Amino acid sequence: MDFSYKEKGLIASLGVALLIFGWYFYGAFSNLKLNPEPPGFVEIIVLIVLIVFLESIIHSLLSFKNRTQLEDERDKLIEKVSYRYGYWVLSACIWFLMVQILLDTRFDHLIFLTTPNGIFHLLLFFFVLSEVINFITQLYYYRKGI
Amino acid sequence: MSQQTLADKVGVTRQTIFAIEKDKYSPSLKVAFKISNVFKASLEEVFTYD
Repeated sequence: MDFSYKEKGLIASLGVALLIFGWYFYGAFSNLKLNPEPPGFVEIIVLIVLIVFLESIIHSLLSFKNRTQLEDERDKLIEKVSYRYGYWVLSACIWFLMVQILLDTRFDHLIFLTTPNGIFHLLLFFFVLSEVINFITQLYYYRKGI
Repeated sequence: MSQQTLADKVGVTRQTIFAIEKDKYSPSLKVAFKISNVFKASLEEVFTYD
């Protein structure tokens, strides 16, 4: 299968996000019931720096091999449409979280999600989910056309 | 003319030219006119609307 420079970049970003955040969320959500406090500021900064660092390396390697490539109107259109899908997912998730906080007595078995640590990680998870949806939608439109 | 040559003349990527050819993307009027100009043909001769 022949992938363009943009598609390779998207797959790399998707892979890095899934790998690092998947590893992070696995640890975070499995300890959520034990720890009600949100993670330290340094821990989150390290996570973000790690992602930016890995993505920068991969994108630099890809752009080194594709120096003639540029971004055109089709790329911008696909990006715009995909960001809209990401926004819808994020909005739906934020509404879900608001309802969850208001009706926490109805979700007694999920009460650990309404602790500061739970809310922090749910919010982080929703942001990552919307970004993943954005990447997947872009890949879909690059393959299927727009 | 190769896809890359046309892409360079129009100012888009080769993938966009490929997508237009495969009917997977409808270009903007600006790009459509640029492609027509490259072929020195009218818009109707290069593009059709279904």
